[in-house]
Amino acid sequence: MTEALVGLGLMMVLALLRIPIAISMGVIGFLGGACLRKRKIAPAMAMVETKVYDTGRNYTLSVVPLFILMGNFVTRAGMSQELFRAAYAFVGHLRGGLAMATICACAGFGAICGSSIATAATMAKVAYPSMKELGYSDRLSTGSIAAGGTLGILIPPSTLMVIYGVMTETNIGKLFAAGILPGILATFLLCVAVQWTVFKDPASGPPGAKSSWGERLRAIEGVWGVALLFILVMGGIYGGVFTATEGAGIGAFGALCFALLRRALTWRKFLDALVESGRTTAMLFAILTGALMFAEFVNYTTMPDDLKWLITTLNLSPIMVIVAICAIYVLLGTAMEELSMILLTVPVFFPLVVHLGFDPIWFGILIVVVVEIGLISPPVGMNLFVLNALLPHVPTKTLFRGVLPFVVADVIRLGILVAFPAISLWLPSMMR
Amino acid sequence: MSSTGSEGGVVWLDRALGVAAAILLFCLMAITTVDVIGRYIFNWPLRGAFEITELLLLTLIFAGLPLVSRADEHVTLDFIDALLGDRCRRILRRLVDVVCGLIILGLAWRVFVKAGKISGYGDTTDVLFISVGPFVYFMALMVLVTAIVHIVKAFLPPPDKPKVFDPDQVSPT
Repeated sequence: MTEALVGLGLMMVLALLRIPIAISMGVIGFLGGACLRKRKIAPAMAMVETKVYDTGRNYTLSVVPLFILMGNFVTRAGMSQELFRAAYAFVGHLRGGLAMATICACAGFGAICGSSIATAATMAKVAYPSMKELGYSDRLSTGSIAAGGTLGILIPPSTLMVIYGVMTETNIGKLFAAGILPGILATFLLCVAVQWTVFKDPASGPPGAKSSWGERLRAIEGVWGVALLFILVMGGIYGGVFTATEGAGIGAFGALCFALLRRALTWRKFLDALVESGRTTAMLFAILTGALMFAEFVNYTTMPDDLKWLITTLNLSPIMVIVAICAIYVLLGTAMEELSMILLTVPVFFPLVVHLGFDPIWFGILIVVVVEIGLISPPVGMNLFVLNALLPHVPTKTLFRGVLPFVVADVIRLGILVAFPAISLWLPSMMR
Repeated sequence: MSSTGSEGGVVWLDRALGVAAAILLFCLMAITTVDVIGRYIFNWPLRGAFEITELLLLTLIFAGLPLVSRADEHVTLDFIDALLGDRCRRILRRLVDVVCGLIILGLAWRVFVKAGKISGYGDTTDVLFISVGPFVYFMALMVLVTAIVHIVKAFLPPPDKPKVFDPDQVSPT
């Protein structure tokens, strides 16, 4: 236990000195490994070589760049406009309708894009001007965009689920399937949060014009591309027609076709999408390799066993442990960048959770939800930063206050998902 | 903007590796798509698609690595920036780049050793008998380039203004 704690501490010190997390984790994984093996350097070096090579040459991992590429094509194809229009046609005439339309459109966009930040950024460009025009308060409009954006990583595909699946060797297809029902629940609860906001302050979200059924049908027609892409990729993976990797390849290709059909791609944009995806991939693999080295060290120490022993002696009920882990995550998430938070802690928590008899898929969904909360909880939340950068005239204070009802809705959702694992596990249990 | 010799080199490297990464990723997508379509529609899967994908991914990641280091896109915790003055911050940046450069240099050495071993065995893939050695040497070379990027960055003048958050950049979360 002591070695692991010292390792964790040293790693945090390196990371706080601004050394990239990937390198901090890798170095400590290497040094820790060497110390534990009676200060023999050779096996630790062999471990490093193997980890670097195996992470790079790994067929399953090609799912990562392909889904990132799909997201990059989809954001450039500009499908968000149609999604927003379609959602507006159905709920726009209600009080707070535009904010709810934003959230539903985010959910739709999340079904073809695996990144929450990309979802929020795309939607901000489309939804914010409409809400501003109708006289929505900045608090409600920015809050709904930031919160809706987080649906991007819960509703499959999801880059975060892929990373979790790779780290813990959990089936990525099943993780995706597990995200669907919680995603619908999340959409509903976020809409409730909108209603609560307009209930407290009716002027913050006035109703828009009502659409006729003809207009609604036409608006639905506009989103056939999104629906087709989702059904093709997720249906294919869920039905076992292809693996997650193949689904990702088809998804990226489909997204490219749509972008081309809509004439949204110039050579420049096309090249940018590819290069950016390539860079993001390399960045992710660096940090993933580092995390795997660090996990190797942690698993070699007595820490996983000690934690199990601690829980048995303290007579903690398993569900209390889960609640405690979630609470730690929500607290950490307010101040930490979420991806590093997950990569740092999953090697420690995951063996424990499995030991307690919980389903790794369910835990994966909980991880995604705590990351979602972290993304919108001040002071450090990436989605808030995105909106801050895109809408510089909205004061940070307004942003922070506007998002609060949505954070509460998310915490309630976390509670529901902890209490009813079936919401997450029912769909994956039907797979093959 | 005036560019010194080393800066010109960096820009050139940036372009070359960027284009390489773009082509590799496009091939990765194309091969997966062709394989799936071939298998289900024409009942004619692409032979060795599995191992081509593996090697493409390997090359893609390591071609992208110097780009990430150059663009300063590694995930870092930057709490300390708030505590430091401008001067200290710049000195810390340089120090971190030197330390990272040295660590990655060590890694490059180990990957070269690994490449030597794999080439020594004459390792090839199972279906297409592609020799793996050159790919691992490429890996090692790119790790070396990444180390050099960090060390060069430590000595280059700092960028004029701090990087602003770019929301168009699709981040993993």
